[in-house]
Amino acid sequence: MMATFKNMLAMIELELRRLGHDRTEIYSRAVQPILWIVIYGNVMSSIRAIPTSGIPYIDFITPGVIIQSTTFISIFYGLTIVWERDSGILKKLLVAPVSRYSIVVGRAMASGVRAIFQALIILPVAVIVGVRFLPNPMYLILAFVVIFFASGGFAAASILVASFMKTRERFMGIGQAITMPLFFASNALYPVQLMPPILREFSIVNPLSYVVDAVRGLLITGNFSNLLGDLIAIAVFDMVMFILASISFRRIIE
Amino acid sequence: MDFAVQAKNLVKVYNGKVKALDGVDLTVEASGTFALLGPNGAGKTTLMRILTTQLKPSTGEAYVFGLNVTRDGGKVRKLVSYVPQEMSVWTDISGYENLLIYAKIFGIPRLEREKMIDEALDIMGLNNVKGELVRTYSGGMVRRLEIACAMLVKPKIMFLDEPTIGLDPGARKIVWEKLNLFKKEYGVTIFFNTHYMDEADLYADDIAIIDQGKVVARGTSEELKHSVGGEIISFTLENFQSESWLLEEIRRLKLVRGVFMENKDLNILVDDAESSLPCITDFLKSKALSVNRISITKPTLDDVFLKYTGGRLEEKGRISDVRQVRYMIRRG
Repeated sequence: MMATFKNMLAMIELELRRLGHDRTEIYSRAVQPILWIVIYGNVMSSIRAIPTSGIPYIDFITPGVIIQSTTFISIFYGLTIVWERDSGILKKLLVAPVSRYSIVVGRAMASGVRAIFQALIILPVAVIVGVRFLPNPMYLILAFVVIFFASGGFAAASILVASFMKTRERFMGIGQAITMPLFFASNALYPVQLMPPILREFSIVNPLSYVVDAVRGLLITGNFSNLLGDLIAIAVFDMVMFILASISFRRIIE
Repeated sequence: MDFAVQAKNLVKVYNGKVKALDGVDLTVEASGTFALLGPNGAGKTTLMRILTTQLKPSTGEAYVFGLNVTRDGGKVRKLVSYVPQEMSVWTDISGYENLLIYAKIFGIPRLEREKMIDEALDIMGLNNVKGELVRTYSGGMVRRLEIACAMLVKPKIMFLDEPTIGLDPGARKIVWEKLNLFKKEYGVTIFFNTHYMDEADLYADDIAIIDQGKVVARGTSEELKHSVGGEIISFTLENFQSESWLLEEIRRLKLVRGVFMENKDLNILVDDAESSLPCITDFLKSKALSVNRISITKPTLDDVFLKYTGGRLEEKGRISDVRQVRYMIRRG
């Protein structure tokens, strides 16, 4: 347990140091979510076509768009693992005197670092275009904790998928095929109640919905009635993904 | 005492089809430098990955310092370090940062960390570039950094998979100088895979030749070469008329295994040219024969390879070697 934690810290430090040298990826990946908020959000907000129980539409989608972009980052983080399999890094890590579980969890949680940096870039832009956040720093910090842990789960999910993909090209395709449905079949852009029944069913098992709901409550609406349930759902999602990813990890190296 | 490495009838079959190892038996003594020589696809990497607990053998058993690699994987990983053939450092951070992250992953206590990193940088001669991004390093420097990373755990045995692939001769030489320095300092056993004969010849105390998943020959470089046949000393003699009584007399000399004439040159087959030469020249002098020119032909490991596998190592290696080198270049 202690080793896993230390390994996680080392991996997080690795990501911080990488970001210290080169942040281009974070900036370029921020373009898309910023466009969602600034253009799509503004346009749809002025139409008032989607009922968002009192809050402006642009405020409604901001947490959704933030979570969408941090989730994308985490899911493509699994790609790094495939890359490291092509290079010798994974092989070397496997011979290190640490458990495989701690390698998987450490790598997955390190994606949370990138996710948080991503969110930190989008937030000020949202403030500039007039999104009103709850003025409580504790809520903001808690929201970041939620984003951090949720990213770990999504990264583990992507390691799981990566373990079935032998090439990067295949993974890129699968990555797109997973992330977009997750995004559209969630409460990121519209309330779940507006969805057709089948999608509504799906959104119950869509972890993205729980993350968006928790972060939306913490940053925008101040509605914490589902918060505990959301946190439990995220914790369960993380645990399941960590375990499955650790089990399937062997495939990556063989 | 336990052997550093012991493999008993090791078989590895991938996906039920490809037989990478076909009954490998091998023992490697501790604290030497051991080379596993063979063409690409011979099973070298598979064997190394089994010994480093990354893969499980299909059948058979393997031990590292007496520990079973399948059952005691965790304990084995505390004794070994491994430098894979592919690049195994992060290129977007500095050399020092790579060592720092690896030190933390390996769980080296905070107090020893800086000292170990300094020592590793020092031995591998990377102190002056430690702050630069690995992306800017040359191939040889990347290799030395990888070895430095592997040194951090103070292993009892270090496994190196094709340690100098894709490096120019100068860089290869430096890598080996540093490796030997490290070996002297720590008394570590080195186990390396290679398909470069000269590398095995120059740096290994002990060699096993592997082909198609089987160890086909075993011994020191000298022993292997002797097993092919002897060395030939050719004398070009002044005004020499071949006379059968003379050849017969030479044949009867100690250390001489055969005599034959070729293009007016007197060819003498011996086990070891350097030690037999004085005795033979003395004899020729005693017969008042003056020597114009002496040349020695020694068998190479390629001849050894030819004898045991029926093919030339160079030819077997060539195409996949080119592919491998290009791959490494593309990786940066």
